[in-house]
Amino acid sequence: MKVKLLIITLALALCAPLFADDAQEADDTKPKPTPEEVAAQVESQGEALTETRNVVEILNRLKITGYIQAQFVDDERSRDQLVTGGTRNLDQFSIRRGRVKFTYQATPTSKFVIQPDITTSGVVLKDGYVELTEPWTPWHHTLTAGQFNWPFGYEIMYSSSNREVPERSRVVRTLFPGERDRGLMLSGLGLNERFSYRVAIVNGTGTASSSDLNQKKDLVARVGYNFGALDLGASGYRGQDLVATATQANGVNFDKDRLGVDFQWATPVQGLLLRGEFITGKQAPATGTTRTKSHDVDGWYFYAIQNLGTKHQLVLRMDEYDPDTDVDNNAIRTINPTYIFHWDAHSKVMASYEFIENEANDPDDNVFTLRYQFLF
Amino acid sequence: MKKLLLCIALALPVFAAKPISIKGSDTMVIMNARLAEGFMNANPGTQIQVTGGGSGVGIAALINGTTDIAASSRPIKTSETDKLKARFATTGFAIPIARDGLSIYLNEQNPVKELTLAQIRAIYTGAVTNWKQVGGKDAPIILYSRENSSGTYTYFKDNVLMGKDYAPRAQTLQGTAAVVNAVAKDANGIGYGGAAYAKGIKFAAVKKDDKSPAVLPSLETVRSGQYPISRYLYLYTRVKPAKEMKAFIDWATSPAGQEIVSKVGYFPVK
Repeated sequence: MKVKLLIITLALALCAPLFADDAQEADDTKPKPTPEEVAAQVESQGEALTETRNVVEILNRLKITGYIQAQFVDDERSRDQLVTGGTRNLDQFSIRRGRVKFTYQATPTSKFVIQPDITTSGVVLKDGYVELTEPWTPWHHTLTAGQFNWPFGYEIMYSSSNREVPERSRVVRTLFPGERDRGLMLSGLGLNERFSYRVAIVNGTGTASSSDLNQKKDLVARVGYNFGALDLGASGYRGQDLVATATQANGVNFDKDRLGVDFQWATPVQGLLLRGEFITGKQAPATGTTRTKSHDVDGWYFYAIQNLGTKHQLVLRMDEYDPDTDVDNNAIRTINPTYIFHWDAHSKVMASYEFIENEANDPDDNVFTLRYQFLF
Repeated sequence: MKKLLLCIALALPVFAAKPISIKGSDTMVIMNARLAEGFMNANPGTQIQVTGGGSGVGIAALINGTTDIAASSRPIKTSETDKLKARFATTGFAIPIARDGLSIYLNEQNPVKELTLAQIRAIYTGAVTNWKQVGGKDAPIILYSRENSSGTYTYFKDNVLMGKDYAPRAQTLQGTAAVVNAVAKDANGIGYGGAAYAKGIKFAAVKKDDKSPAVLPSLETVRSGQYPISRYLYLYTRVKPAKEMKAFIDWATSPAGQEIVSKVGYFPVK
């Protein structure tokens, strides 16, 4: 039966040109269109093209970008069951980040951006802001309103899709959890695009809470200068955190200050980039504290990134965080060697090992991450 | 033995030299193709692939590692250098390969012969909309422009429009050839682009201001700086050119390469 069906299909396929010729003959008998009709058809096609162009121009204003990071993590804490909380296992496959960024450039001076993070843990809003840029000066001062990265240091504003190790350094993760806040920011670029500034007034609560916990607003700013191969930056943060203490259940405002300096240097050694940042400041104590003042903290990170051709990168990051500088032997250090293979312009594979050393008590908590990222 | 030879023959392409890729400016694509052709004729072992897409596309490809050389009709932006630095630890190398008089195209029937920079700015920002406002006939001005990934678009905006925005009614076309073609067919059209594209249109002589002489783009006027909208056309590499890439760039800037630059319609850098 199948063979017969195949033969009939083949026969029909072979005869098709014959039927096509008949159809052509039938077309030839039709009256030919007059020049006026052709002109009308061309005009109508032109109108259709103009309409299509208008639609395409509107669509061109919308840019959709994003990336997904699928990974396997082997965490020593799982082996020794050191993890607190519901599950004691951290060895798993997961989607670390699933970002889709929608940018609508309505006019050259106004922009809308929204970026959710879609993972197996749920959907979280990462960025959501509008930008207005003044067109009158070469600085192009820009006002940003909404939820955006804290303008502090280098690592916070450096996209996770470009970062050469799986996670930000411990000092940044601890002092700037979530890397974002809600507020108003003014930024600009001048002096032959060498000097940049960003200054923002923000809630100070970050994105963990949907509302601001205290009435006071925080100030954060960064200035940077580009010397060509070398970039230097200085940042400051001044604000307060409301913390419920052992004696004040409604909370007390504790100082939350940070100062930082950062650099990035494309060295004369071909393909070698060095990057680093030092942050010092005052951190509010944890909920239920008996303290009356914030304590001093500091930390730093340092990257050495060696490019080998266009496909391979060897990375070594070292970082340290001291959660209370008045207490001895409590710093946490991490050495994080990483290898990255860039498959093509969209895909890269990263293998990374974190040797974590805790001065106070050093459990087995090293982490191996194998990550695949696709970016578009 | 035959099997062995067959295996070697099949494996040869794997070990063959990787072609040098040049990607970017549509303004430069014909010139780069001619230069590549000339170099490959003189050096049969080397393969060079040339593609367009726009200066922005070429520089993006340089940043993500998918081209060896980016062709750009504008200087690289600081934001692009920052990305190159973060990814490849380099600020890039710029090699000026030609000079161009950024030309104003008019239809051959258009009685207007010269325009001041201020008039061109007023036309392209939408302040002037009729040819009679600049000494022509009573007819609407039809604006032809380039897409925003084009280096010519950016250069024209920065240096002629002084950073102001193009009038929304400017029609964006892909490639200088498309702009030339549109102006050639439209008696009321105006366009801009490289001096090498001049078929079926005429150039407007450009005046720096009311008191300056009107100047047409030519080797002398571009080289002397008399023509007010001249620019360099660049090749950008990530690292200092070496081996075949250096040989190609050295050849392109040599008298033999610069002769090709002139034949295409641009002006030599030396």
